Amino acid sequence: MSERHIKVLVAKKKIDVHGRGSKLIAQELRDAGMEVVYFRFGTVEDIVNAVVQEDVDVLALSIFTSGHLSITRKLVPALREAGVKDLLLIMGGCIPEVDFEPLKAIGAHEVFSPGLPGEVVADYIRQHVDTASLEETEKAAPSAAVQ
Amino acid sequence: MDKTMENLKVAKEAWENARAKYVDKLKEKENLSGIPVKTVYTPEDVEGLDLGGMPGVYPFTRGLYPDGYALTPWMQQMVFGYGTVDETRKKMEELVSLGMEGHFGNKVFNIVFDIPSMYGIDSDHPEAEGNVGQCGVTLCTVEDYDQLIEGWDLKTTNFSLITGDNCLPALALISAAAIRRGEGFEALRGNSMNWYPRTAVQDIPSWEPENGYALITELIRFCSNNIRGWNTANIFMYGLSEAGATPLQELAYGMSWGKSVIDAGLKAGLEPDAFIGRLGFQIGCQSNFFEEIAKFRAVRKMWAKITRDAGCTKPHNMHARFHCHTSGNVLTAQEPLNNTARVTMQVMAAVMGGAQSIHACSYDESIGIPTELSHRTALRTQQIMMYESGLRDVADPLAGSYYVECLTDQMEQAAWQIFNDLEARGGYQQGLADGSIKRAIDQNAYMTKQKIKSGKLPVVGVNKFNLNKKADYEPFRVDYSLERKAIERLNAFRAKRSQKDVDQSLAAVKNACLAFRDGRSELMPVLIDAALKGATNGEMCEVMRGVFGWVVTE
Repeated sequence: MSERHIKVLVAKKKIDVHGRGSKLIAQELRDAGMEVVYFRFGTVEDIVNAVVQEDVDVLALSIFTSGHLSITRKLVPALREAGVKDLLLIMGGCIPEVDFEPLKAIGAHEVFSPGLPGEVVADYIRQHVDTASLEETEKAAPSAAVQ
Repeated sequence: MDKTMENLKVAKEAWENARAKYVDKLKEKENLSGIPVKTVYTPEDVEGLDLGGMPGVYPFTRGLYPDGYALTPWMQQMVFGYGTVDETRKKMEELVSLGMEGHFGNKVFNIVFDIPSMYGIDSDHPEAEGNVGQCGVTLCTVEDYDQLIEGWDLKTTNFSLITGDNCLPALALISAAAIRRGEGFEALRGNSMNWYPRTAVQDIPSWEPENGYALITELIRFCSNNIRGWNTANIFMYGLSEAGATPLQELAYGMSWGKSVIDAGLKAGLEPDAFIGRLGFQIGCQSNFFEEIAKFRAVRKMWAKITRDAGCTKPHNMHARFHCHTSGNVLTAQEPLNNTARVTMQVMAAVMGGAQSIHACSYDESIGIPTELSHRTALRTQQIMMYESGLRDVADPLAGSYYVECLTDQMEQAAWQIFNDLEARGGYQQGLADGSIKRAIDQNAYMTKQKIKSGKLPVVGVNKFNLNKKADYEPFRVDYSLERKAIERLNAFRAKRSQKDVDQSLAAVKNACLAFRDGRSELMPVLIDAALKGATNGEMCEVMRGVFGWVVTE
């Protein structure tokens, strides 16, 4: 049985020197048989364009030096506005665990701690890639966002 | 045969008998660098090694100064900086009040810029959003720098500027601030990172290699002639280590990096004794205690040889002066307080390895920006080591240890091999341009992760004794309103400067860059003039990016 082809955009901020974690995850997802596009973004618009142009199933957003909440708050509505619906949005990098729930409230499907085995992320992707939706739900009300 | 070797022969036989029953079951061990480690070392392991060196004497394996830390304990150079210069000034004053100091009581400020400033874009640039003042201070205008140096005595204060590719504009801006204060830039003391070669491993665009090296040399040339108390380049071995290098790779590629800067300076016609002594190192420190100490000792020995071969004649110009930055990548997000144990051990290794300056990481750096408490605790870790432990009383206290001497030699020999291979292929600059350094280090980052996943490399709280519990740890928050404040400051500055002057000075920068690229002009004086006219960090960098290329080496 051939496995479902999964295409992932690993997006990492262009101006940030930290790339060890994002490059490792990119490699580990490739090891897991996924197609990975590694992308250094400048702005949220860059991410949206890349998601649309590359027509990916998964957006893996890596944030190392803060800004994860403000970026996600802009990103999710911008993706919706661009008509992106069935995208799995996962995040990782150096993000405090206390921010995981606020990020999910904004619209991220899952947030991962630093240093996790790539297999954990790959398993999560396989389990959720076909059911993921960016459509707004009650819990994704913008007012739930915490700075 | 002398008495020691005679006794050893007898003792070794008895020792072999004592372990005969289980010796086959002992597992072979190696350190992070892949060098085999035995369970016992003896005089046989140091046979043939020259153990007759003294601290303060070439090749400085035992330290740079004859009496170690007796006159000059290491400088406590904690990295800090966030928000605008207002917030960072408060932190400077707080750290001074906590006793953070450098040599002879001087102030030392190891100021980290936020990533937009490092990259060379101003706070109001769209790509800066979310990162302004977050993991460092935003410094855009000459007024920011005025305020940074305000009230500090330039003769007894060290400003270490943790920049990125805005290195030359940042030096121009602080020089302009010194001029505006009426003291001239000659009085400045501090450090430029000037570490373009880091782009061999860091995941950002930067100058095309040839231009990158020319810019390094330009800063060195300018300071050698004009700011004699300024340290002109930081050989950023820590960056190699954090990107995934083993301590051995860090050592070998670090030496090669340093050699490439020397070569660039010599090629530009600089005299060895006029600039090599102002190059310094920033070295990482991971968790294998003795391996790190051996690495530090080997750094000094190798650098002494490289600099002497390059033509240095004065001993102090052969000194590998180094700042140790304890490793960030070995810190765990799980049970963050455990990191204090790791950091303590790393600071001990740095001290026993003879560091001139130390940054101790905060225990929560794997989660976010350090809190006031975690940052202070890291500073206190250094101070406890300095004042309570007795560790600084004796220079190079592990000299003569069969293990440490043997390992120092093994690290050195293995590093020369990598170094010579790279030299034969064109040296560090070539390795940067063709991506071979990046590939070697990325490969080790990958291998390290595989070893952690398989349990071969134990990490307490991660692959050993994992609590499987969420760490509800609240890190320090830099209020996002500071981003608006930074932009308002910038706008207010722009509103009162003469746009005509700025436009003219930036046009002059562009012409100077073009002439510089063709080897016909100096750049620093033109940048300083632009800074005085009100050009910002981002504006100067933008012009430079247009001329010197902006590429990702892959």
